[in-house]
Amino acid sequence: MTQTPMTDPLLLEAAADIFASVCTPADLEAAEADGWAPQAWAAVAEAGLPWISVPESAGGEGGSLTDALAVLRVAGRFGLPVPIAETGVLAGWLLASAGLQAERLPTTVADATGLDWDGTTLTGTVRNVAWGAAASRLVVLAGTSVLVFDPTTLRVERHTGLAGEPSDTVCFEAAAPLAVGTAPVGVDSDTLALRGALTRVVLMSGALEQVLVTTVRYTEERQQFGKPVGRFQAVQQHLVHIGQQTALLDMAAAQASASADSGADADLQRFHVLAAKSVADDAARIATRAAHQAHAAMGMTREYPLHYATRRLWAWTRQWGTGAQVAGALGASVLDAGADAFWPTLTR
Amino acid sequence: MASTTRSERAIRFVPTRLTPQELSLQAEVREFLAAELGDGTHRPGLGMSGRADRDFSRKLGARGWLGMALPKQYGGGERSAVDRFVVTEELLRVGAPVGLHWVADRQSGAVIARFGTEEQKRKYLPGICAGELGFSIGMSEPDVGSDLAAVRTRAVRDGDGWVINGTKVWTTGAHRNDVMITLCRTSDEDDRHKGLSQFLVDLRAPGVEIRPIPLLDGSADFNEVVLTDVRVSDADLLGTLGQGWSQNTAELAFERGGPDRFLTTYPVFEAFLRETDPASLDARARVAIGRIAADYWVLRNITLSVARAVDRDESPVQEAALVKEFATRFEQDVITTLLDIVDLDPVTDSASIFEQILSEAILTGPVFTIRGGTIEILRSVAAKGLGR
Repeated sequence: MTQTPMTDPLLLEAAADIFASVCTPADLEAAEADGWAPQAWAAVAEAGLPWISVPESAGGEGGSLTDALAVLRVAGRFGLPVPIAETGVLAGWLLASAGLQAERLPTTVADATGLDWDGTTLTGTVRNVAWGAAASRLVVLAGTSVLVFDPTTLRVERHTGLAGEPSDTVCFEAAAPLAVGTAPVGVDSDTLALRGALTRVVLMSGALEQVLVTTVRYTEERQQFGKPVGRFQAVQQHLVHIGQQTALLDMAAAQASASADSGADADLQRFHVLAAKSVADDAARIATRAAHQAHAAMGMTREYPLHYATRRLWAWTRQWGTGAQVAGALGASVLDAGADAFWPTLTR
Repeated sequence: MASTTRSERAIRFVPTRLTPQELSLQAEVREFLAAELGDGTHRPGLGMSGRADRDFSRKLGARGWLGMALPKQYGGGERSAVDRFVVTEELLRVGAPVGLHWVADRQSGAVIARFGTEEQKRKYLPGICAGELGFSIGMSEPDVGSDLAAVRTRAVRDGDGWVINGTKVWTTGAHRNDVMITLCRTSDEDDRHKGLSQFLVDLRAPGVEIRPIPLLDGSADFNEVVLTDVRVSDADLLGTLGQGWSQNTAELAFERGGPDRFLTTYPVFEAFLRETDPASLDARARVAIGRIAADYWVLRNITLSVARAVDRDESPVQEAALVKEFATRFEQDVITTLLDIVDLDPVTDSASIFEQILSEAILTGPVFTIRGGTIEILRSVAAKGLGR
């Protein structure tokens, strides 16, 4: 039992095949232009991928959280332009926890804790809702209540995030939900944010692998001064920094995923997710800078595909806890726990 | 986006965790260290620069915690690289006095076990496992630096033995150690990576002169070792004549991928936590501490995965280089970050342990990214592993 849990490689290969077929540069451009990718959604929905880890009894596909996160990592590699993370791992989890059914529809999620929920209607505004207008369902956590809305009945301001994906502002004006459930103990604003952070960590881990592979290939093929640019030590230094950050983030993502699925105590799981998101934030900053520098002007063009990964890294690192927020929370808990507690936590 | 598969990546770190048996070893080591060093008088050292304490090394040997992966017939434990990792990280955490046995336990024993003759194994391994024998690394030279294939120290055939002449530098602990594994040129070849050989040189033999090289903090652990007509026999040749380069490369893998490459300044961080009132810290300080904590966590998992790879009989040379390049910079960054947080012009003889070892870390910090392969050399090694 020395290995952390492994997802069946066949599942990941199947997912990669599907994502590859619907994430060509043309597909990604169309998704950005239209704000929705119907073919991509149809393909992943038909395979049931968005509902992995949601219990079958709640309308999901079953399977472990580890499996769902491993599939998300592959989605991150391809830049899959649909709310796969939101539909299952986040909204599906809230729904199942509250005894509600997940529907087989593109679904997004928002934390409305702090908004005015009077038990019947919700009033207030939430920004940065992923695919807020394009999704068919919006699952909201409002304190201890889980609410289901149809976004077409709400006022939604469309906005575009750094990666060209919808990041909408949703205005609830005494809005009545389609369904209401109660979140059990352990399902709250904090745990939703941690779970959200975990989805971003694995998505970023996939995207960063794409950055590494793309940059290694480019620096081997691109010739300058009579040799591949990757032969220059100054360029090799960029490659090493990308390779390091990819390795660190991969490890953080794998360990935090395993921890979240392990039944470890909540404080330890929290430590792992916060730490992993902090690592991801550093990785995004360091590796995207190095990758763009190694590509020079070519990597700044719309035509060259590096940006599908780097723009997503810049967007995802701001979501479900910025680097400073997660590191600040982690630092506070390390200080609270005291000098004697840190090492045992690190080495459990 | 173009499709990629994992197999395109040569460098990989497989996530792992400690087994219940490994965790119980961890608890045992922790208990031992609390009893040995927990009386409040212990002044933590910084990583491999910890004091040399023969009694302490012997006690570790008696516990079976030195030469853990070496064969039992020579006093070893035939235990795993991960078991050794578990013991080592606990020693580094408390800044234990590991100086005497460090090199012998980390690399010399492993190299002798792998390349040595039966006679050499019998001669050296029991002493390494008992914490009795100290080893030095005879690689670099005054005009060679990192370019080890250019070594000028020469071993010349003389009757049934060899005569060695040359100078080695940056030789930690040579003044107190017993043996130096010495990289020598034994023949001149078109390929300069050929014709190199390793010898086991007795540091007290006639013709061995050890001169201290004081470092900028006044410490005198570094040496220049001048070898003048030092006689060794065929029995002192380690491994195969002319194969010194590849043997040396294998030795460097042991030297680079371990927890000593990210934990050097850990005792400073823990002393900071111990001596600091959390209420005195602002939000930016909490962010900085959180980032340090996160990096400790991920680097610990990465280095543990390197140890697990060694137990699968892999030779993670490029992985080790990739990790060490980052991890030793992190060791320095911890200190830089703490200096941004505390309002302190440190005095080296403070009553505060934190201030004492913070001072030491500032004064010795530049060496972290130099010893065991400069980060520039490591980048070249690691970059080769990133290509296809």
